[in-house]
Amino acid sequence: MKVSISWLKELVNLKVSIDKIIDLLPLRTIGTKDITADFFELDMKGYNRADLLSMRGVAYEVAAITDSKINFTEPDEKDFVWTNQNLPETQVEVKNPEFVPLYCIAKITGLRVGPPDKEWVEKLQDCGLRSVNNIADITNLVMLEYGQPLHAFDAQKVSGEKLIVRGARGGEEFVTLDEKIRRLHPSDLLIADPKKALALAGVMGGKNSEVTGSTTTIFLEAAIFDPVIIRKTAARLGLSSEASKRFQHGLTKKRLLQAFDAAIKMYEDVGGKLTAVSITGNLKDQQKSIELNYRNLNSLIGVEIPVEDVKKYLTKLNFKLQDWQAIPPYFRLDIEIEADIIEEVARMYGYENIPPHKLQGKLPDKIDQSLFDFIYELKATLVELGLTEIQTYSFYSTDVLNNLNFNKNNLIKVANPISAETEYLRDCLWSNLLEKVVQNLKQNFDQIAIFEIGKTYHSKEKSAPEEKNKLSLALSDNSPNSIQKLYSIFQKVQKRLGGKIELGRTEMDEEEKRLFHPVRFWQLTFDGKRIGEIAQIHPRIVNRFGVEKIVAVLEMEI
Amino acid sequence: MEEKISQIKKEYLGKINRAENLGQLDEIFLSLFGKNGEISLIPKSFSKLSKKELQIITPLFNQTKAELEESIEKKREEVREEKYAKLSDEKIDLTRMAFPDQVWEPRKSNGHLHPTTQFIHETVEVFKKLGFQQYEAPHIDTEKYNFTLLNIPDNHPAMDLWDTMYLNLPDPEDSNKKMLLRTHTSNAQIRVMREFNPPFRIMSIGRCFRYENLDARHEHTFEQFELIYVDKDLSMANLQYLSEYYIKSTIGKDIKARLRPKYYPFVEPGFGIDTECIFCKGQGCKICGGAGWIEIGGAGMIHPNVLKNGGVDPNIYSGIAWGPGVERMMMMKHGIADVRLFLSGDLKFLEKF
Repeated sequence: MKVSISWLKELVNLKVSIDKIIDLLPLRTIGTKDITADFFELDMKGYNRADLLSMRGVAYEVAAITDSKINFTEPDEKDFVWTNQNLPETQVEVKNPEFVPLYCIAKITGLRVGPPDKEWVEKLQDCGLRSVNNIADITNLVMLEYGQPLHAFDAQKVSGEKLIVRGARGGEEFVTLDEKIRRLHPSDLLIADPKKALALAGVMGGKNSEVTGSTTTIFLEAAIFDPVIIRKTAARLGLSSEASKRFQHGLTKKRLLQAFDAAIKMYEDVGGKLTAVSITGNLKDQQKSIELNYRNLNSLIGVEIPVEDVKKYLTKLNFKLQDWQAIPPYFRLDIEIEADIIEEVARMYGYENIPPHKLQGKLPDKIDQSLFDFIYELKATLVELGLTEIQTYSFYSTDVLNNLNFNKNNLIKVANPISAETEYLRDCLWSNLLEKVVQNLKQNFDQIAIFEIGKTYHSKEKSAPEEKNKLSLALSDNSPNSIQKLYSIFQKVQKRLGGKIELGRTEMDEEEKRLFHPVRFWQLTFDGKRIGEIAQIHPRIVNRFGVEKIVAVLEMEI
Repeated sequence: MEEKISQIKKEYLGKINRAENLGQLDEIFLSLFGKNGEISLIPKSFSKLSKKELQIITPLFNQTKAELEESIEKKREEVREEKYAKLSDEKIDLTRMAFPDQVWEPRKSNGHLHPTTQFIHETVEVFKKLGFQQYEAPHIDTEKYNFTLLNIPDNHPAMDLWDTMYLNLPDPEDSNKKMLLRTHTSNAQIRVMREFNPPFRIMSIGRCFRYENLDARHEHTFEQFELIYVDKDLSMANLQYLSEYYIKSTIGKDIKARLRPKYYPFVEPGFGIDTECIFCKGQGCKICGGAGWIEIGGAGMIHPNVLKNGGVDPNIYSGIAWGPGVERMMMMKHGIADVRLFLSGDLKFLEKF
């Protein structure tokens, strides 16, 4: 969320400088990204503070952390523009009320599309939006101020002047505002008239009902849609918009009505007239009341915070606290449990003021650490013997796949690879080591002795895949005796770590014959079970990487 | 000119055919295609030819050149394959190594531990002193352990925090879902809670994956180090202690730690862990962007829903999850500018450690 600084100053009687606010926000509320003279940007990625997607929400928060007063009042329901008029209803039919808790439409006539107010253009710009024209800008300005997305349909283009909220039909197609044809899925929610689709609810409007230069009458929509539906549609179509973001984070009915009212009044200020309205759905927000236990509060924070201060902090944040029942302000949808309230108190107290407190309590029971210890010892031993540890990706590169011609059907495949380089998970390590040996040979290293200890991944019929810890060594030292030397390394390690792994001859299968030297190939067994191999890679394979060198490898499970 | 080209072709096809080893073929290649090679020199006299002559010579030249290249490559293959065929004649017994040049002797310089191994080892040693012990969770996991049981429901905006790589493997418990590559070491949390009775102090360490395009600051494969600590009466003050203890043990005794609000769905409250910038000691410099502080990781008090999902009673126990960004710390410590170096296998880089 980009916060316009001049707009913020309109909404809050700031007691402190903007610089101070920018310093304080990351300590009390949320991290910031871009900071300029006109705006600062809150880092909302994945955040749960829906209220901070509105200027009013930001104003409440800034007022609370800077001890300032807000500069606006929230309208009383009595003063909503539609309350005291006897207006006809616009025709609306909500077919899936379970996904549309509130749906409001206002018909506004007598509009003339024209250039927007200069101040609007600035506000929109500061908040990162582009001004379009006076009609469209009102929806965006109100969205920014209240956090409630609005949409304006050109009423002339709505058949029968009737709006229907319904699910899409399988295979239905629709042209969005950006002039792209979208194939719809039955889980998408649509706004339609009796003849055609008009908008992808909460995601993007349609080309066919867009406000244009000749528009004089609009249907203004303010609604709450199911966040999960909006998220799925936006994700599937790759259409993340300012509106869809807000629908996903959650909206309140109270704020919706305020935004609806404010927008209608702005349209009236530019010459429009409200001639019909319909409000479909229950108007009450769910009110939460959460028990706060003073002992829990002090215990979780680790500091005794005076009761007076607890009350003071929560009051600043517009919480009500009565008999240790905390009622969050209606716009704080993120507050759900006691720990949320404790967080509010703690951040107002200031995390930087919480002193460190040593760990108490008895030490837990010992658990088996032998594998971790062994792996470290093994690495240290190999390093002492002069080998360098490398770590490679858990994937096979395209070079490895092409040059080694592995059967991909045996490999675990990534469903959404970033590129062909991350498409298949490795089921051995030596091939990645070979690739690295060659890369380093090409960098003028002529004696290469490397190893990796890491996981390999194996699919299993009808059960979860298996992960194995493996050790692999690779040696290419410009001598014809790399394999003997590699074996001597293995013996030294075995001697030092006291292993009982045996070397032996074995029949090579077709795949092994293809990949390895026909004679220089031995199996490693432990307790009669094969756990790995020591081998020279077939020169034909090495050659495919573009070098004529001898490369010996060892690979075994640990 | 025509004749000359045919002459070269005839002569060299013969030579290629008679070649016995790769060395000879390399020589032939050079005398044809090297800087002053016979083929390389020919186009230099093209300027003297008429248009009409050129129409005949150019295709002939190109064809000959391609043909010679091809025969050299083919012959190389043949020579190699002949050599490969002889490989099976060898007699070798690994267990009898008579000659010293068949035994590995470490050279004057030792090998090198990977910087990540060194970093993790040091960190483990620091927290062992506080009674923390290692635990390993799988790299391939289900949405349940990686997200759902960690209080991250399906299709929640919080999912934006983790761009995930999914696998073409159905979840054995729910065939509508795919398995995934874990996006964090927090996939150990529920397992640890179910396996051990509190109190426990666990370190969950290892490789994690994100759907992320590579550049100097972004890796799709990275390391995490995470403490999972559950006991009675744990507090944010304990968490503050862990951060300070860590920074003082690894970065410097005079360096301060700081907590900031940060949202992770599996903790409440959640924190970003900052350290005072070691380059400017908090004064503000280019490296810390003038802030005086650098973010080194994330932490929080484990969310009661997560404790419940792990079978731990949140009315009796509380929990701390805490972890520095491993690559970030190493880059800061060693002044490394490109995160991709860690998994590059580049010995020039690795031999510095």
